[in-house]
Amino acid sequence: MATSAPVTPGDTPGTRAKLVLGQPTFKTVNEDIASIVESKPTPKYLLGLMFAASILLVMVGSLVKLVYSGVGVWGLDNTVFWAWDITGFVFWIGIGHAGTLISAILFLFRQKWRTSINRAAEAMTIFAVMAAGIYPAFHVGRVWLLYWVFPVPNQMSMWPNFKSPLLWDVFAVSTYATVSILFWYLGLVPDLATIRDRAKTKLRYLIYGILSLGWRGSHRGWLSYEKAYLILAGLSTPLVLSVHTVVSFDFATSVVPGWHTTIFPPYFVAGAIFSGFAMVITLMIVARKVLGLEHMITIRHLENMSKIILATGSMVGYAYAIEFFIAWYGAVEYERYAFLNRMFGPYWWAYWSMVSCNVIFPQLFWFKKVRTSIPALFAISIVVNIGMWFERFVIIVTSLHRDYIPSSWTYFTPSIWDISLFVGTFGLFLTMFLLFCKFLPVIAASEVKGVMPQADPHGDDHHGKDEEAHAHG
Amino acid sequence: MSAAKKPPKGDGLLPKELVESWSKIGYGLGALGVAAFAAGMLGADQARFGAAYLVGFMFTTTIAVGALFFVVIQHLTKAGWSVAPRRIMEWLSQGLIASAVLFVPLVVMAPKIWHHWMGEHAAHDQVLVQKQGYLNQPFFYARAIVFLVVWALLATWFYKLSREQDSTGDRKLSDKLQVAAAPSIAALGLTISFAGFDWVMSLDPHWYSTIFGVYIFAGCLLSSHAMLALCIVRLRKDNIGGNLLTVEHQHDVGKFLFGFVVFWAYIGFSQFMLIFYANIPEETVWYLHRWNHGWHVVSMGLFLLHFIAPFLMLLSRTAKRDPRLLAAGAGLLLFMHWVDLYWLVMPNFDEHFHFQWVDIAGLLAPVGVTAAWLSKRVLADPVYPLKDPYIPEALKAENL
Repeated sequence: MATSAPVTPGDTPGTRAKLVLGQPTFKTVNEDIASIVESKPTPKYLLGLMFAASILLVMVGSLVKLVYSGVGVWGLDNTVFWAWDITGFVFWIGIGHAGTLISAILFLFRQKWRTSINRAAEAMTIFAVMAAGIYPAFHVGRVWLLYWVFPVPNQMSMWPNFKSPLLWDVFAVSTYATVSILFWYLGLVPDLATIRDRAKTKLRYLIYGILSLGWRGSHRGWLSYEKAYLILAGLSTPLVLSVHTVVSFDFATSVVPGWHTTIFPPYFVAGAIFSGFAMVITLMIVARKVLGLEHMITIRHLENMSKIILATGSMVGYAYAIEFFIAWYGAVEYERYAFLNRMFGPYWWAYWSMVSCNVIFPQLFWFKKVRTSIPALFAISIVVNIGMWFERFVIIVTSLHRDYIPSSWTYFTPSIWDISLFVGTFGLFLTMFLLFCKFLPVIAASEVKGVMPQADPHGDDHHGKDEEAHAHG
Repeated sequence: MSAAKKPPKGDGLLPKELVESWSKIGYGLGALGVAAFAAGMLGADQARFGAAYLVGFMFTTTIAVGALFFVVIQHLTKAGWSVAPRRIMEWLSQGLIASAVLFVPLVVMAPKIWHHWMGEHAAHDQVLVQKQGYLNQPFFYARAIVFLVVWALLATWFYKLSREQDSTGDRKLSDKLQVAAAPSIAALGLTISFAGFDWVMSLDPHWYSTIFGVYIFAGCLLSSHAMLALCIVRLRKDNIGGNLLTVEHQHDVGKFLFGFVVFWAYIGFSQFMLIFYANIPEETVWYLHRWNHGWHVVSMGLFLLHFIAPFLMLLSRTAKRDPRLLAAGAGLLLFMHWVDLYWLVMPNFDEHFHFQWVDIAGLLAPVGVTAAWLSKRVLADPVYPLKDPYIPEALKAENL
């Protein structure tokens, strides 16, 4: 344990590793990022896009079938009235959380390394929320009446049920989506202006000119911008907690054994951040390679994210343990049964998949070798996302499938439409992400420039000598 | 680097007069604490004193655990800004050594305090019989020993290495501390949760709540940062720490304090809302005990003065940078932390809300002993880590 592990050059106590490797100048940073938008798409990219879009078509097809035939096409029954639908919803909403955490909380904590990954993570958040939104939107059955979820004044005085956590979800998720989009867009403005200024074609100049809202990069502009950014960061910070808290209320306010437990809110939030960072790692590993951004999204960025995964994964493990302990300690037979049934009942395979993916495998991140190995990071990030899907499935289905009356006990199996819709949402997510990579700056160029040594007004980033002086002073 | 950004000159020690006067206060409190303890033990209602003492013990212990958590997480995250205030938290965490001793009276009074499950009638209680595997005296004390020893060892070790660096300036010490920080955080999280279950939640042994450990932990974070804010304001008043402990660090600590006010409220609300909404009698009874017979005043007081008032007080930038406003908020929170613990413990002993003088005695005893111990242990040491490699960064900390 105590043996001093080999450290990345420069990352020793008192000295920070460089955030952008090589010999970058402001110009090369612009160049590296804007050229992705300006160059013609490669055949590989088009192939990828076509692949993603075909999965998206699977989603469209599943939805057409769903609307045409009704929710009955899913594998639900009277006992297990919620399964892959809400699992998919919570899965995607959870994934979104890394974006908000990186953009809001890490910003407030002055974590400068966030600048290379925040843009893509924020974009991912928005696409994940879109994928999540598909589920409740179509689960209402008549999707064209979806606006009924909002408290729209009407002649019949028909209101949504304000006491229902599902309605709180409507407010929580729509607020989250709105603020995430605002935050993302605000950050994009200076970079969009950069692309506008570099534009070689009229059309590009026009489109990015409109999108950049007349940004001129003036002193006054930057002053207002920084203030707005800070305020939005402050406002989004509670959102990191509130959205998944309300999602956890969907379950925890009920009296279903396995659902009603007070630790749910922070436990869900930790799980959401856990899965979100896993998805960011998965996407970033591919993106940095394909787009040639390895000097900006460095191994150290990935390593930091893997540490957050280890931390939040341990919190999730803590919650599993405490839930289990209190189920026993509480001495309520239904609770005790629910948890034993999770582990050893008909869905034992789901429970143990969840535990191994979420608690056991992430422990490998205790080792620096694993944290800095791209294949290991990639594999574990995917394992974590599988595990987090299982977590929601375990909570939802194993708690429901044993009803209070044994005659209503069932065993849920998904229908082909359950599966196709879930697979299809990946199509939506990936298509959107690929389009984002091509048409918008993937990395926040203006922010990256801000954390480079050249941007330090004191120009005293050469620690070594100064520090020695202090050490002996 | 401009001339203003040099660490303070000298040995970083507190001025002699201050050490003297603060020691006097510390030892004075200690004497008062011992007297209060004697009076409480000789008093008529020993169960009440036991409960009050438990509140006081939890008060000093949670502050110290929170302080230790702060120290450890700064190493874990390799934080730069926090080098300036870190030593104060290292000092506060030394209270855990006093806590290990202060637990002894709890052992003596245990049958009166945890009488619901330690008493004879527990054997005839259908629910408690099922919990005997956990709620039995040998295991209870064994766990307590583990918690207290782990805390005291961690507090000692993290402080020892930090002091070593004061003289050697060896960067390898920072490496060591950083490596040890991660498992230490895990140990702290588990021990404080189960200490919360054992010492507070089991006072009402039928009741259970999975978030309870997190609630106690939130109290640790909040109270220790409140204490830190008060210390910073006091030190800065005499310009101790010079340009290393600036208004910027005070501001940052204020932000954390504000954040933890919300975190505490979030955890408290999560517990309350879910129990209220599901409305299961086994669970709601706990809140009923904290509402009926006058306790609603304390419950509402917690909501208003532990959350609403400090939230509004600490929200603005001005408040966090103004020493008086920040101290007012921190002082209020520290007091409310005691009220919070009182609210957790006391309704188990008294259905009616009655404030009694022994409640103060129960607080004074652990606070006095801890204060005296800290005076002896830390006041002669430098007030910031003299040669921490992150000092240049701490000097640069700025809130734009």
